[in-house]
Amino acid sequence: MARMKFICDSERCIECNSCVTACKNEHEVPWGVNRRRVVTLNDGVPGERSVSVACMHCSDAPCMAVCPVNCFYRTEEGVVLHDKDTCIGCGYCSYACPFGAPQFPAAGTFGVRGKMDKCTFCAGGPEANGSQAEFEKYGRNRLAEGKLPACAEMCSTKALLGGDGDVIADIFRNRVLKRGKGAEVWGWGTAYGSKQAGQPGGAKS
Amino acid sequence: QSQSSTPAGGGSTATPTGAAPGAKLAPEDLPPGQQQGVPGIQGQNIFEVKPEVKRDASSEPGYLQQNNGQRNAVQPGNNAPMWRGVQAGREGYSSLPKSQAPEAGVLIQEPVQYPGSRMTTAGQAWREVRNNWIIPYGGALLLIAVLGLGIFYFVKGPLGHATVDSGPMRIERFTPFERAAHWVNAIAFVVLGLSGIVMAFGKFFLLPVMGLTLFGYFTYLLKNLHNFFGPLFAVSLVIVIVAFIRDNFPQKGDLRWLLRLGGMLGGNEMPSHRFNAMEKVIFWVGTLLLGVIVVGSGLVMDKLIPSLLYDRQTMQVTNMIHATAAALMLAIMFLHIYVGTVGFRGAYTGMRHGYVNEPWAKEHHAYWYEDIRAGKVPAQRSKPAEVAGGTQAVHTV
Amino acid sequence: MLLTKKTGGTQVAARSPFVHSLQRGLAAALPTMDRRAFLRRSGLGVGVGIAASSLTLVKKAKAADGKGPAVGDGRVEVKRTVCTHCSVGCAIDAVVENGLWVRQEPVFDSPINLGAHCCKGAAIREHGHGEFRLRYPMKLVNGKYQRISWDQALDEITARLQDLRKASGPESVFWIGSSKHSNEQSYLMRKFVSLWGSNNCDHQARICHSTTVAGVANTWGYGAMTNSYNDLQNSKAALYIGSNAAEAHPVSMLHMLHAKENGTKLMVADPRFTRTAAKADQYIRFRSGSDIPFLFGVLYHVFKNGWEDKKYLNDRVYGMDKVREDVLAKWTPDKVQEACGVPEAEVFKVAQTMAMNRPSTIVWCMGQTQHSIGNAMVRASCILQLALGNIGVAGGGANIFRGHDNVQGATDVGPNPDSLPGYYGIAEGAWRHYAKVWNVDYDWIKGRFQNATMMTKPGMTVSRWIDGVLEKNELLDQDPNLRGVFYWGHAPNSQTRGLEMKRAMDKLDLLVVVDPYPSATAAMAAMPGQEGDLNPNRAVYLLPAATQFETSGSCTASNRSLQWREKVIEPLWESRSDHMIMYQLAQKLGFGAELTKNYKMQKVKGMDEPVPEDILREINKSNWTIGYTGQSPERLKAHMKNMAAFDVKTLKCKGNVKDKDTGYDLTGDYFGLPWPCYGTPELKHPGSPNLYDTTKHVMDGGGCFRANFGVEKDGVNLLAEDGSFPVGCEIQTGYPEVDHVLVKKLGWWEELTPEERSAAEGKNWKTDLSGGLIRVAMKNHGVHCFGNAKARAVVWNFPDPIPQHREPIYSTRPDLVAKYPTHDDKKAFWRTPTLYKTLQQKNLTDKVAEKFPLILTSGRLTEYEGGGEETRSNPWLAELQQEAFVEINPQTAAAKGIKQGDRVWLRTPTGAQLNVQALVTERVGPDTCWMPFHFSGRWQGNDMLAYYPNGAAPVVRGEAVNTATTYGYDSVTMMQETKTTICNIERA
Ligand SMILES: Nc1nc2c(c(=O)[nH]1)N[C@H]1C(S)=C(S)[C@@H](COP(=O)(O)OP(=O)(O)OC[C@H]3O[C@@H](n4cnc5c(=O)[nH]c(N)nc54)[C@H](O)[C@@H]3O)O[C@H]1N2
Ligand SMILES: Nc1nc2c(c(=O)[nH]1)N[C@H]1C(S)=C(S)[C@@H](COP(=O)(O)OP(=O)(O)OC[C@H]3O[C@@H](n4cnc5c(=O)[nH]c(N)nc54)[C@H](O)[C@@H]3O)O[C@H]1N2
Ligand code: HEM
Ligand code: HEM
Ligand code: SF4
Ligand code: SF4
Ligand code: SF4
Ligand code: SF4
Ligand code: SF4
Ligand SMILES: [Mo]
Repeated sequence: MARMKFICDSERCIECNSCVTACKNEHEVPWGVNRRRVVTLNDGVPGERSVSVACMHCSDAPCMAVCPVNCFYRTEEGVVLHDKDTCIGCGYCSYACPFGAPQFPAAGTFGVRGKMDKCTFCAGGPEANGSQAEFEKYGRNRLAEGKLPACAEMCSTKALLGGDGDVIADIFRNRVLKRGKGAEVWGWGTAYGSKQAGQPGGAKS
Repeated sequence: QSQSSTPAGGGSTATPTGAAPGAKLAPEDLPPGQQQGVPGIQGQNIFEVKPEVKRDASSEPGYLQQNNGQRNAVQPGNNAPMWRGVQAGREGYSSLPKSQAPEAGVLIQEPVQYPGSRMTTAGQAWREVRNNWIIPYGGALLLIAVLGLGIFYFVKGPLGHATVDSGPMRIERFTPFERAAHWVNAIAFVVLGLSGIVMAFGKFFLLPVMGLTLFGYFTYLLKNLHNFFGPLFAVSLVIVIVAFIRDNFPQKGDLRWLLRLGGMLGGNEMPSHRFNAMEKVIFWVGTLLLGVIVVGSGLVMDKLIPSLLYDRQTMQVTNMIHATAAALMLAIMFLHIYVGTVGFRGAYTGMRHGYVNEPWAKEHHAYWYEDIRAGKVPAQRSKPAEVAGGTQAVHTV
Repeated sequence: MLLTKKTGGTQVAARSPFVHSLQRGLAAALPTMDRRAFLRRSGLGVGVGIAASSLTLVKKAKAADGKGPAVGDGRVEVKRTVCTHCSVGCAIDAVVENGLWVRQEPVFDSPINLGAHCCKGAAIREHGHGEFRLRYPMKLVNGKYQRISWDQALDEITARLQDLRKASGPESVFWIGSSKHSNEQSYLMRKFVSLWGSNNCDHQARICHSTTVAGVANTWGYGAMTNSYNDLQNSKAALYIGSNAAEAHPVSMLHMLHAKENGTKLMVADPRFTRTAAKADQYIRFRSGSDIPFLFGVLYHVFKNGWEDKKYLNDRVYGMDKVREDVLAKWTPDKVQEACGVPEAEVFKVAQTMAMNRPSTIVWCMGQTQHSIGNAMVRASCILQLALGNIGVAGGGANIFRGHDNVQGATDVGPNPDSLPGYYGIAEGAWRHYAKVWNVDYDWIKGRFQNATMMTKPGMTVSRWIDGVLEKNELLDQDPNLRGVFYWGHAPNSQTRGLEMKRAMDKLDLLVVVDPYPSATAAMAAMPGQEGDLNPNRAVYLLPAATQFETSGSCTASNRSLQWREKVIEPLWESRSDHMIMYQLAQKLGFGAELTKNYKMQKVKGMDEPVPEDILREINKSNWTIGYTGQSPERLKAHMKNMAAFDVKTLKCKGNVKDKDTGYDLTGDYFGLPWPCYGTPELKHPGSPNLYDTTKHVMDGGGCFRANFGVEKDGVNLLAEDGSFPVGCEIQTGYPEVDHVLVKKLGWWEELTPEERSAAEGKNWKTDLSGGLIRVAMKNHGVHCFGNAKARAVVWNFPDPIPQHREPIYSTRPDLVAKYPTHDDKKAFWRTPTLYKTLQQKNLTDKVAEKFPLILTSGRLTEYEGGGEETRSNPWLAELQQEAFVEINPQTAAAKGIKQGDRVWLRTPTGAQLNVQALVTERVGPDTCWMPFHFSGRWQGNDMLAYYPNGAAPVVRGEAVNTATTYGYDSVTMMQETKTTICNIERA
């Protein structure tokens, strides 16, 4: 069974935010809720890279582990979804998530947050696939329609790959190879593990 | 647009100090056609490589200190320095405003080590503390407390002899104001405690019974009750503390009382002032210390402290404090509630109606009783008007 | 308890059966809480207004509210359209249900974007909501906008126009058209203004790529991008100079980054470390305004090392020897470094990379065009590419990324003050050509003008209309001052000198804004101005125009490909399509019949609207010069339907493909029939993917440089040398353009049909309405209709025949101003007097550079487009950029005590002071500040919200940089100087 994953190729991502608005558009996500966002590191200096991030659909998902009401579940494709009817809006998933994926429609006092919303890998929620109820709570269910996530499909540079982990890993590996820079990129030692003088013992980065 | 981070020395693509990357290379080291290439870049056909003589950019001094720009200059596409920054929780640029999304620029939460966790991403560390310590041990503590009290009750039954029947209720133990404050506080506490317990442990004992949807709605309700009762509890707690603090200062005899555990387990109770030493310990530790911690952390989690940045780490830390303190407080309060209800004859009535009879006072708070008798402490502290207005009726029960 | 859900099934898969059934049972009993409902309930902190509005949007999408066009039968249709936010031309499939635009899907088949979008394209469906649009016509009454009916609006506006015409003549009105119009609408706009009797019309190209168009066309023939985004994949090296493609043409990076993976070397030269620079192998930071020193510094090394393509220069280029002398003398490395700040080694490396990795391409955009010497800068780029022999080569070329979705088309066939559609000029011959095409009497048109002189005098430009209002009458080169202005799809905050524009707006008699989002202009007009400026008789009208998704038509992407947009939805609210409005105005002004003689009408919302296909056919019939003749609506539609047939790298149709419905054979075509697509549609010219490419037959899109500048100059041959010709050409040397004389001389006259002969008699290829001359020359003999000549390195008809560096009028470097002073003042230049030297000298004497020591430059954010009112009204985009800001280098900021996120005052010599947020970043160097120009709605520190028409204010408002930008205009095209001026910044 395919396991759905995202890869964002930081060599390609140009912080165009298409993935962000594609998601807003497809799922009618309200203002203030960003299922996906783009972060630029080393902004404005050589070495600048941008990365688009949403829920990573973790294998051992911290959000799932801390949810007081167990409203998370995982689909056969490895997509981590949740049930908004059950969610109590406690925010714990957002504390636990390393990527800041869970979002809340409000950030009010008295701990009022509304129900958690996050990237569904465009796979909807527990309601019947493609139903109006599902759309209203979770947005579209593209996977059920046989489509891949809107964000990845519309990515301006195809930096963002979303789909079966094996397939996208292949694409990505191919790309890295095609950049023609195997040893050049990673350093001989890193690529082939030879030990040489002046090379700190395997502590390659 | 929000904060952008600037790596040290980020302005330049030059290799760091002293290292002139190409300089030490013998021309024969360079692959064909690359003799004039960018210094440091040494891509090559792997079949032509003799690993022993090959050096690559990674063997340059300062390699590990390179920033991402410098690394990219010698090894295009190698973003290890950047990813190291990401792993360290370094904040990048995000166009979302700080006011709306304070942490949008952080790709991965910074690693921390909370007491009881590994050094790992903050969220994961929090998860470890909560799921591996607070929930199991907190739960165990509460279970043990409840079980202990149950067994105690089973074995010993209610303590004390004086009952409401032992005489007319003439001594005003708690004024209406004190009682009002106490009960508001108590009710809030019960709501908070129950809802808190359901939030923390409900999925282990309620969820399997109720099913997801119902449990979800139920917990959602409790969670919101918890959020709104918290501030109520905070206010009433302050009043309770102010109202009772005077009579909870240590007094002569308290130490003795404590050492002999009030003598309750065997035979006669030791004399005490208005509150005995156990009540005082519960007051200082359970009500005051833990109460303030729980309230303080609760208010933070409720986002009621103005001008505080409610980022995830703040929330994690306060949650751990809150949950730990709450568990301890619950355990202690179980004792208090036990004593105040089924554990101790007559105590409840005193708090319920305000008045106790002389045998009860004499039995449980001998010094206090003496003070009343001596007129040092008035038997009726609230204004008579109030007495007339209603309490008189319950005076004799 | 881990739960698993099957994606394929329709029901929820088993959790624990007990839990599941219990849960389902309960779910049925307890109505699940609707997401919107809980959002509404807990909407405490949600951006107010947004939350509410996005709720209604969904309701609308659900319920086909009564107002909707409601087809009623639940039909789901997919309409293929094209993003309207930039010239890349990304295709979109719009899913329409019951007349409501409910979804959009990427078009993976599109060879241009392969399904990819930037944030604007990915948010395009918001146009189907149009929540913050102007909903009905409005009129400014006592400082407030009031709703009026269309009839009242059209009646009053036309009455006012007639009054102005009577009192001051047709030249008293200025028509600002739009690059957002389709080709058909732009063309109709030019026709409309012509029949009104004036050349006073313009559009965004003036302030966008006018310098490119003029400079490039004068160098080698056509003023357009020579190759395509796709062709970047064939480049071995690319120099982006003054283009921030990653933010302004994001999807073009799809091709560039792919190329990069295959080894293409990417260099970016820009004053700012942009998102494009982040992807570069080499980034060169240089001082804004010093492109010529840099480019000629590169050229210096090319010449020094003998890297120029000598054969190519001999065969195909005129005047490079003179350039060579000039460059070697003037642009030695020390002078280059002094002027632009780039050390020799870096410049050398650029030259080396460009020379060693041929074909290499150059990409430029606003960084080069928006200067008072923009025309010279772009030619410096052309010259570099000519020297390297890179023009007319796949993978080479001058890849000029254009701006708006249809700015190329609007430039080609739209409202230009100095030419009729197809660059026909405005001389009598051109007018006669069009009189014939339009089927309108030439003398009647002439009679519409004030007089014959005005008919052939180029009009004012959009960059200067404010001077047309404010300037002393005797200094203007037309009789009346401007009294009426139409803003027809153009924002006000995109033109410089905003403070003066406010005064000009107040002095007008008539201001009409025709726009789906007219609000920036509206608010500016309604806002109280200076005492005494307000014309008591001024009338301001707002007319709601439909967007391009509410009509159909063609648009021309930057690579010259035409794409046909299907109508997605009916015009929202009370809006009407631009061509319908033109027709309705023309009718009331009395020339409706003349305007639409060749068009059928279709009913839209019960009213007549000219059929876009018919307008395109008229364009096909007239625009021979630039080959807009082959792109019939039928061919374009076949291309849109069969996008998958085209190769991504070459844009050529792969194999033999026929359109299923029409049987049209696409074999050999290039996608979108990139112009020039010569001759009649029946000739089946495939379009030209790369211009001037001699390696292809002219009937396969090949070509050579255009013979447009004579056959010789001072005794030097201007035609191509022997042996330089497109593949298969029967004339294997240079030749002039094809006309009836040449064809007869060559003995090919008989190859024309008798009808063609009668039409072609006395004509050349541009005026022969039969297309016969083109057919015979190109198809039968492989001869290019526009001749075969040399490109000009020296453009002798320009102020600086060899590009010269001149400091901007507002410069922070008095020392360089002394060495490289600007031009002399001009008196009657596009009808307005224009200052150069006097102002620059005055700035020198007044020492303004001491008061304003920082360079101010401006540009684009990915999220917003142009003046930004449209995109800032789209909540999906607006959320991502909520504040106007200025980028300041950390060093400069520290010296001024400015911290990240502080409010600052930005002041410039115009007297403007902008209150914006500081973004402290190393993107800019210590001497430079940068601001995005997309904001409006705040004015010198104050919110303008109160002056917006009710409900039509955008979501995000901010200070417009163009109130701060200073005087300065290109010496050929009147381009405004928006890329280099000066400022000072202090903490607010
Ligand atoms: N997102 C978005 N995309 C757009 C548009 C939009 O508004 N928003 N508009 C479209 C339009 S109309 C156009 S014309 C294009 C424009 O596209 P671009 O021209 O690529 O965009 P700009 O940001 O205006 O300017 C490009 C760069 O010029 C640099 N620059 C400043 N001064 C100088 C100089 O003196 N010399 C050089 N060489 N560079 C300089 C700036 O730092 C900036 O990075 O984008 C189109 N695409
Ligand atoms: N400081 C500074 N100033 C600049 C620039 C810069 O880089 N710096 N760039 C310049 C450049 S390159 C350009 S092109 C201009 C761009 O500036 P503008 O073109 O003035 O800005 P836009 O907002 O794109 O204006 C287009 C208008 O057309 C409207 N519109 C959209 N579709 C339609 C339609 O179908 N019909 C009608 N009638 N209206 C429609 C939109 O609502 C919008 O109001 O700005 C220029 N100004
Ligand atoms: C004194 C009695 C209180 C008890 C026993 C108590 C107990 C708890 C418990 C057990 C949790 C769940 C922790 C977990 O699952 O990790 C919790 C969460 C929380 N408590 Fe309390 N608490 C008390 C008081 C308060 C007060 C006074 C406030 C606020 C002023 C408050 C605010 C919160 C908040 C905001 C949460 C986080 C969960 C949520 O937002 O839903 N609590 N509490
Ligand atoms: C259901 C819950 C509770 C019950 C049944 C209860 C019952 C009682 C009773 C019967 C007394 C009187 C004891 C005496 O006469 O000495 C008492 C006293 C007191 N209770 Fe409670 N109580 C409850 C909850 C709380 C809570 C939540 C707090 C504070 C956090 C609290 C604080 C106090 C204080 C401060 C006193 C006075 C004794 C002292 O200060 O040591 N009680 N309670
Ligand atoms: S929400 Fe966070 S923790 Fe949970 S699966 Fe997604 S990325 Fe992992
Ligand atoms: S917010 Fe909802 S999903 Fe997240 S942990 Fe709390 S209940 Fe679970
Ligand atoms: S996968 Fe779908 S839900 Fe997730 S970020 Fe992408 S578009 Fe949004
Ligand atoms: S759409 Fe692609 S390129 Fe653009 S920000 Fe997202 S991941 Fe990056
Ligand atoms: S704005 Fe340009 S790049 Fe972005 S989607 Fe539209 S056409 Fe494509
Ligand atoms: Mo533009």
